Amino acid sequence: MTTLSQEKTVAPGKSIIEKLNVVTALVLGIVSAVVVWRLSLAFLPEDSESAALFTREDKITLLSMCAWFVGFMTGIGALVGPFRWLMGKDLSHDENMFLAGKEMGPKRYFRYTTDHKVVGIQYLFITILIFFLGGGLAMLIRTNLGRAEGGWLHPQAYNDIVGTHGILMIVGTIIMITGPFGNFIMPIMIGARDMAFPRLNALSFWLIVAAAVPLLWGQFLGGISTGWSAYNPLASQAPLGMDGYIMYICIFAVSTMVAGANITTTVVKMRAKGMTWNRTPIFIYGTVASVALALPAFPVFFLSQVLSAFDRALGTSFYNTSLGGSGWLYENLFWLMGHPEVYVILIPSIAALMEMAPVFTRRPLFGFNVAIMGIAGITGLSVLVWAHHMYISGWAPLLNAPFMLTTELISIPTGMLFLVLVGTLWRGRLWMTMPLMSIFALLWNFMIGGVTGIYLSDVPADAFLHGSMYVTAHFHYTLMGAGLTGALASLVYWFPKMTGRMFDKTLSWISFWLVQIGFNVAFVGMFMVGLAGQPRRVGTYAPTFSTANLVTTIGAYTIMIGMLVLLYGVIDSARNGVKAPKNPWQAKTLEWTVDYPIPLENFDELPTVTTDAYGYGKAQS
Amino acid sequence: MSVETHAHHEHPDVVGSRNRLGVILLLVADIAFALSMVFVYFYLRGQNVNNMWLPAATADHPAIEPLSSKSAWIVTAICAFGVLSHVYGLRGARAGNQTQLKLGSLVAFIASIVAIANQTNTIASAPFTFTDGAYVSCFYMFAFLNMAHLILTVFISLGNWNRARLGLYTENFWHVDIVRIWWIWMAVSSLLGAFCLSFP
Repeated sequence: MTTLSQEKTVAPGKSIIEKLNVVTALVLGIVSAVVVWRLSLAFLPEDSESAALFTREDKITLLSMCAWFVGFMTGIGALVGPFRWLMGKDLSHDENMFLAGKEMGPKRYFRYTTDHKVVGIQYLFITILIFFLGGGLAMLIRTNLGRAEGGWLHPQAYNDIVGTHGILMIVGTIIMITGPFGNFIMPIMIGARDMAFPRLNALSFWLIVAAAVPLLWGQFLGGISTGWSAYNPLASQAPLGMDGYIMYICIFAVSTMVAGANITTTVVKMRAKGMTWNRTPIFIYGTVASVALALPAFPVFFLSQVLSAFDRALGTSFYNTSLGGSGWLYENLFWLMGHPEVYVILIPSIAALMEMAPVFTRRPLFGFNVAIMGIAGITGLSVLVWAHHMYISGWAPLLNAPFMLTTELISIPTGMLFLVLVGTLWRGRLWMTMPLMSIFALLWNFMIGGVTGIYLSDVPADAFLHGSMYVTAHFHYTLMGAGLTGALASLVYWFPKMTGRMFDKTLSWISFWLVQIGFNVAFVGMFMVGLAGQPRRVGTYAPTFSTANLVTTIGAYTIMIGMLVLLYGVIDSARNGVKAPKNPWQAKTLEWTVDYPIPLENFDELPTVTTDAYGYGKAQS
Repeated sequence: MSVETHAHHEHPDVVGSRNRLGVILLLVADIAFALSMVFVYFYLRGQNVNNMWLPAATADHPAIEPLSSKSAWIVTAICAFGVLSHVYGLRGARAGNQTQLKLGSLVAFIASIVAIANQTNTIASAPFTFTDGAYVSCFYMFAFLNMAHLILTVFISLGNWNRARLGLYTENFWHVDIVRIWWIWMAVSSLLGAFCLSFP
């Protein structure tokens, strides 16, 4: 992993910072939750028999989860900095070095460590874990759908698994690029010593860990039976597990906002001398566009869940129609975040592949400015399309046509990104690696995802396709076929810089083909049954859909085998892989100029940039 | 890219500028959050679903009357006073007058305490409960937002005053400048709530 000396030189018993780690966090979190749970049970009054809603259990659950959160964040050390600021006792140089994980060895991965490379590895680990859990749930879904009568999963359990799989995968795909690579690679790529706010960086990661527990906790309280979108008033009537979802989203939204402010500030303020915007790598644009889009979008999602918690625990009426609320209000708040979130996932993935395209074609990036315009166009338009998710809900039918127009307009900047990739590949000297093949895979998958999306943006067609497996297949083609493909390519591409070892080439190829073939088999089958009318989120189906569902299940198992091969590749290559040279791909961005192990502050002397990053095919390139 | 070298040193102004941008970006998120609340308020008010924005009287429940927005405007006025006090202290810091900085910071801190007491009183004395319709739900929404902001403001203004008292702002005072940005947003967000509640 990263690279500091394994020596342990920190003297014991110095300050509270040195005593806090993930164990103290877990202990304090659990103790806090149990204490608040017992106190709530003892002191919260019973619901009145005449009350319209029974809310006491929700109050107890939410209070206990809040206590877990506060206890965990205190135990990991997140509050040390703010309280030291309050007391006027700022952290000393030595304390900051301790927080950076200097000379601490592997223990730094279990602390509130501020070094961006440690945070990047932590993000990589949690992303893999999320995909492992979410993927496991996907296999349960597909196994249940292997036969028309379903059968071995209870319908309530099936609903919970679908919802949990959905929200896990959404969070996993949101962080899969900006988490590991945005943290580990991006600061080095722009020639910075660290992120602008290292403590906020650690905060954004540990918030995700803190958020995971309420979601798991909720599984024992009835789970998420509403699907990942958790529509109200359905969610307000769901079991207590819904409170876990609410806490999970609220904490994750804060993490996203913190990361967004941090990454944007780092890029705007800390680029190396000479790195003008014209010389800034396209991956940086993609990362910043993603987090900048999340910055105003996720607070709306946060609010939607806060109001949901109020309705459940206090009996307010934001979404309760009988008391003056509106389910449409929830849908608006949810999709105001929900559609930009698609591009929060996609843009950094495509930008990462655009970063790799010149390296593996040995050509300059075709249309650098077109790529930036495409990214900016998608970012701008993505906040104006949310109501296409609500055509069938009956909300504001007069607005259907304008939203159809804005949705279809997004094809234009998306087409620009296709143009840049195809233009870069055109007549390039192709270096056939897994990342390069991932560009072809993205073009294929995203073309299918994009074209099928046009039908869903079309009001009359959507009236037929809405709520069917067609929709499920469409968004898997965009988020997985395009988004995840870019993330897997990024893993292989930047693996040498993150671990000092090359990713096993054979395993990367085997994994790539298994995942891509399995993916297309699985989701083409899903398109077929969707077009024929099979509804999504239902554990059984008519026998006429059997063959295509069986094909989809076989495809899903193929994906699973491919992903397990990839996971084995990660572990085996990190332990036994061939040691990587400093610049194995002969790339021109700054991260490839630093040796492995990478020093704590990345550069002994900060670099000065004199050219753009894509000068391939030129003299002395 | 070529790698050349130059000496590495970060001036406090550089760090201050970076922190300033970071805080503004975090505020972008908070502004989106507050504006979403404004949307919620006017959406539910406009829809008036089942005539339950302000429920009429029934056999076992009196009609819900909207609360005067006066208390919300009072909290906003206190916050505005807090802004002015803080700016007064900031000017002192800029002029090298530590006494003025301490005084301004202390008055701003006291203003935040007074505001939070006022906000608590507004919530505690509201003549309805959470289940009394959509207007009441929105009233509590704004009240809790203000409360959360005020708790943060108390923390920040206490820290700011304490640091001024300890003489930590004698050489550079970009912290004070950033606290000013927060104070202004505190007042504006309170004003947004008061504005909405003026149109029940």
